[in-house]
Amino acid sequence: MALEAGLIAVGAGIAVGLAGLGAGLAEKDVGAAAVGAMAENEKLFGKGLVLMVIPETIVIFGLVMAILLWLKMV
Amino acid sequence: MLLPEQMTRILIIGSKDLLPRTVDLLYDLRTVHLVDFPPDVEGFTLGSPLPVASEASGKLLKLRAVEKDLEIKEPKVPEPISSERIRKEIDDAIVSLDIEISDVVGSKTKIQQRLSDLDQKKRDLQPFAALPLDLEMYRDYRNVTVFVGSVRANPDGVLLESLDQFELYTGDENRFVALFVPRSDADEAQRILVQHGFSEVSLPYGTGRPESTLNEIEKEESILRKGLDEVQEKLRKLREKHAAFVLASEEELSIMVGKAETPLRAGATAHSFVMDAWVPSKSLDGLKNLFQMKIGDGVYIGLLEVKDWKDLNEGGKGVVSEEIPTKASNPRPANLFEYLVELISTPRYDEIDPTLIISFFFPLFFGLMVGDVGYGIPFVILGYIGLKKVRSDEWRTIATMLFFGGIFTILFGFFFFGEALGMHFAPSPYGDLTWSGLLGIDLPHQINLGAFSIPIGMFSKLHDVKILLYISMWIGIIHLFIGFGLGFANVAIRRGLRHALFEKLSWILILAGGVFLLLLMVDALILGKPLVVTDLRMLAGVGLLIVGMVIGLRGEGAKVFLELPGLMSNVISYTRLTAIGMSKAGLALAFNSISIEMIAPGGGIMIVFAILVFIVGHLMIFILAIISAGLHGIRLQYVEFFMKFYEGGGLKFNPLKIRRKYTTEV
Repeated sequence: MALEAGLIAVGAGIAVGLAGLGAGLAEKDVGAAAVGAMAENEKLFGKGLVLMVIPETIVIFGLVMAILLWLKMV
Repeated sequence: MLLPEQMTRILIIGSKDLLPRTVDLLYDLRTVHLVDFPPDVEGFTLGSPLPVASEASGKLLKLRAVEKDLEIKEPKVPEPISSERIRKEIDDAIVSLDIEISDVVGSKTKIQQRLSDLDQKKRDLQPFAALPLDLEMYRDYRNVTVFVGSVRANPDGVLLESLDQFELYTGDENRFVALFVPRSDADEAQRILVQHGFSEVSLPYGTGRPESTLNEIEKEESILRKGLDEVQEKLRKLREKHAAFVLASEEELSIMVGKAETPLRAGATAHSFVMDAWVPSKSLDGLKNLFQMKIGDGVYIGLLEVKDWKDLNEGGKGVVSEEIPTKASNPRPANLFEYLVELISTPRYDEIDPTLIISFFFPLFFGLMVGDVGYGIPFVILGYIGLKKVRSDEWRTIATMLFFGGIFTILFGFFFFGEALGMHFAPSPYGDLTWSGLLGIDLPHQINLGAFSIPIGMFSKLHDVKILLYISMWIGIIHLFIGFGLGFANVAIRRGLRHALFEKLSWILILAGGVFLLLLMVDALILGKPLVVTDLRMLAGVGLLIVGMVIGLRGEGAKVFLELPGLMSNVISYTRLTAIGMSKAGLALAFNSISIEMIAPGGGIMIVFAILVFIVGHLMIFILAIISAGLHGIRLQYVEFFMKFYEGGGLKFNPLKIRRKYTTEV
């Protein structure tokens, strides 16, 4: 059981960690472009924010997977 | 309420001698959105500014110069001055201000000029101080050429090899040289110097040691600085004396100029003017009455068109709804959220304004994510102070978010989660740290009121994760249904029911199908019941899904298939409502246990540390809560919700009106 629990914990960590990396990679490009656009026209803040947070759903998926895994453990 | 206010387009026509009074009246009305008159209408020219314009702009220029001289920066708003007084005093004031200030400003400029000259001189002289020569020794030779300047490397060695006679002085760590050579060797010497990166500096005038000259300069500088301080002090006094009046006069004059230039936006013939404007339909009667009362029959108000939703819908083409200004009609306090919608884009005239819906769902999401009485109370207090004190749109919106979000945070924190600062009130079945345990009394799980019982804490953020995830998905589904519903209404208004059915009903059916399948999945995956293909929910879900997709295929084409996974991820996206609450609960738990463990064995000084950890930790969570819950709450509105219906790109209703800050009108 201890080994199994440990493996589940590692799996949960990988799920949320890699998802976070993925989201970060996607967001860095969007964010940089959004800041650039905002420097030109401040009115684009709203649109920039929306575009910026779209990839962030990825990490939520990872988190949900991690939570589901964690529920199996406890 | 969900729709912008109905607008009516009017023409205001009158003879030119009534124009000044008309403009005044329009500004007083504050309900007239002027449309720029097109410059290319046959028989019309653009209006010319009222006669007061040029005089007022002249004064304004002078006043702004004074403002610049006095270095008036946006101060605390002084006591407003009545515009009547300004109009009376402005002419004399400008003259006397000019006299009073010009002397002081003149001497200030002179001192500054002299100071910068001296500074330049000082910088030129500085390198010479490193050489052991008097200043007169650099000039007036008949047979000797002098090179003075900076070099990159010391040319001494090379000079020794190539020249018979020379005298070299170096300073500033061999970077500054003075070379004396016979005139006949000048070319060779220059060549060598250039190889060493020589750049010549001009010789300073004067005699004696450079240090003594430098000293003199510094003496003069310190005297000048003292003088400058005195002048600055005089300026400061003048500034204090005149700032309020100057700011107020500038505002008054700007208003005058603004008004006087309004005719530039109107059309004109030889003796008459015509203005094209939008007014809210319900203000039209008031406007007509006021014109009748104040100006009489001289100005004619013509009704061009009333833009109703039905009119826009008819024909469905050729109507440019972007040109009709949108005046939001949200009741208080929902209108505080208008800026959040503006941030994306102004709603169009023929579009549902989502402000009202956001004003409910945003605080709900925020409250659910934080869900803690201990954080909710400071949110409400901060938000309340913000709403009372701050003026800028951005900060007011943040204060609004905190205030209403805080209210929901307290509600959820008390009834739903029953916790404050990460600890539940009632004893925990899991043996967690609770307020009951901390205070040594058993706080109840619920309050019984006769037949009703009000729960205090139904769920634990860390222990009831499954059910909370489930709840958050349902909230998401409801939110999305509303979004599609609004989308349906928007399309129906804009392009008719048929389009709406194809474009949006398809998605509503697909989402409904998904709901049935979700119910089934929960049974099968989480509760562990066997999956039966002929289950009613399965049949209904798949059926709705297929019908929705077929309709969607006709309406939107194959795009439907591409967007289907998107819809699923939308629903899952709402699980952040639980996930963020969980992360905050986890952090709070950690800080609470650290500080309790610190107190437990030691006492004494450790109590202070424990309290410090407790305060710093919770302050951090508090700030994180604002940022993460605020941002995610907004994101769910902007991305998941708005994408289902919102187009935006409207024109904001911007009536002629005067904003006064430093002046009051009588």
